[in-house]
Amino acid sequence: MNGKRPAARAFSFVSAIVGLFLLITPAVAQIQFPELTGRVVDEANLLSDTKEAEVTEMLRAHESETSNQVVVVTLQSLQDRTIEEYGVELGRHWQIGQEGRNNGVLLLVAPNERAMRIEVGYGLEGILTDAQASVIIQNKMIPAFRSGDRTKGVVEGVREILKVLKAGPQEVVAPPPDDSRFPVPPFVIFFIFIAIIMTLRATSVLPSGRSQHFGGFSSGRSSGFSGGGGFSGGGGSFGGGGSSGSW
Amino acid sequence: MIFDFVTRLKNPFFLLVFAVSLAACDVNAVPRLDEQVSASWSQVENQYQRRADLVPNLVATVQGFATQEREVLQNVVEARAKVGQMQIPDNILQNPDALKMFEQNQGALSSALSRLLVVAERYPDLKSNQNFLALQSQLEGTENRLAVARRDYIAAVRDYNTELRTIPGKWIASVMYPEAELKPTFTATVENADQAPKVNFSSGS
Repeated sequence: MNGKRPAARAFSFVSAIVGLFLLITPAVAQIQFPELTGRVVDEANLLSDTKEAEVTEMLRAHESETSNQVVVVTLQSLQDRTIEEYGVELGRHWQIGQEGRNNGVLLLVAPNERAMRIEVGYGLEGILTDAQASVIIQNKMIPAFRSGDRTKGVVEGVREILKVLKAGPQEVVAPPPDDSRFPVPPFVIFFIFIAIIMTLRATSVLPSGRSQHFGGFSSGRSSGFSGGGGFSGGGGSFGGGGSSGSW
Repeated sequence: MIFDFVTRLKNPFFLLVFAVSLAACDVNAVPRLDEQVSASWSQVENQYQRRADLVPNLVATVQGFATQEREVLQNVVEARAKVGQMQIPDNILQNPDALKMFEQNQGALSSALSRLLVVAERYPDLKSNQNFLALQSQLEGTENRLAVARRDYIAAVRDYNTELRTIPGKWIASVMYPEAELKPTFTATVENADQAPKVNFSSGS
């Protein structure tokens, strides 16, 4: 054999394979999540269409009032995860809650595993505490599920969650630091920033491509608030708060 | 190859290409991932602290109902004390031994607490006590947050270590961040974490 060449080729081949595996492995470990089609994702068909619309309307009204995003999910399968693990991952994947405020709540029901969970985003952990989430599950949802009325269980659960969220913090809880410190909301600062850039650009250089640029900026920003047809997560994150139960 | 590369470096054109491609690499990846590791570590510590803060209340509540479970309660108190006494060194993330020690102490508290909760099942009055139920759900919630924080930490360390060990990052780190070291991560959750706790139904002691 002529020495170096095949060795070098083998090396690059091996490193390509290793590189491929590095790319693939995280994908294999991923959970397959349902698509976020609305505020109620009823994969396991626990709610009739009218109930679904009713719950959706409750959740939409709550978001426009408080900006909290609450989403109901019923699942066919937890894909061999615990509902706690699935809940956090799903909440992070969908990015429920507004960015920076992390004020999202997921109500998960997996009838095939007989598991349910209220998953609370970082920003609401002080309002909807683990203990309160547990009380909702144990006192409202589980009795309904045990008696066979799953629809009632879900609707009652949602109603209680919204009630707790509206009531606000029971104890004195420090407000989320990032919003409260500035009297000026962040988007105002954002616009001032843009205004400065625009004036700088207008006075000096680069007149071209300006309009396209700013169009792109603003559309990405407000997606979480869209009330009408589409619904999407606002960029919130989760840290495992909440409570679970089984019936 | 390498010699070739060095001679090419003298050519200003190649020097430019080299500089641009270096700039295209993420030079800030190492410190950025380092910060991420620190942040997720403080979340881990935070949740452990939160758990430790719950313990005195929990012990007091259980004590009122299950006076004869002295040994189990004592175990929890001792494990809690040990966790509280442990000085967490600032460089714990560079110090596998300290991390292991931290893990052991927290693991001891975990198993003592789970024994306590198993024992609590025997006392119907305790199980229906509102205070206990609230504490139990808080403890469960904290354990779950802990699991999330640990997973996040493990992921952050994996990203950081991968950056230090794979090619562009390895070169960048050796030139710009020679002090960067691989970080230790959690080994197993607890000793015998894969085995379900044995519940003894026969003896009452």
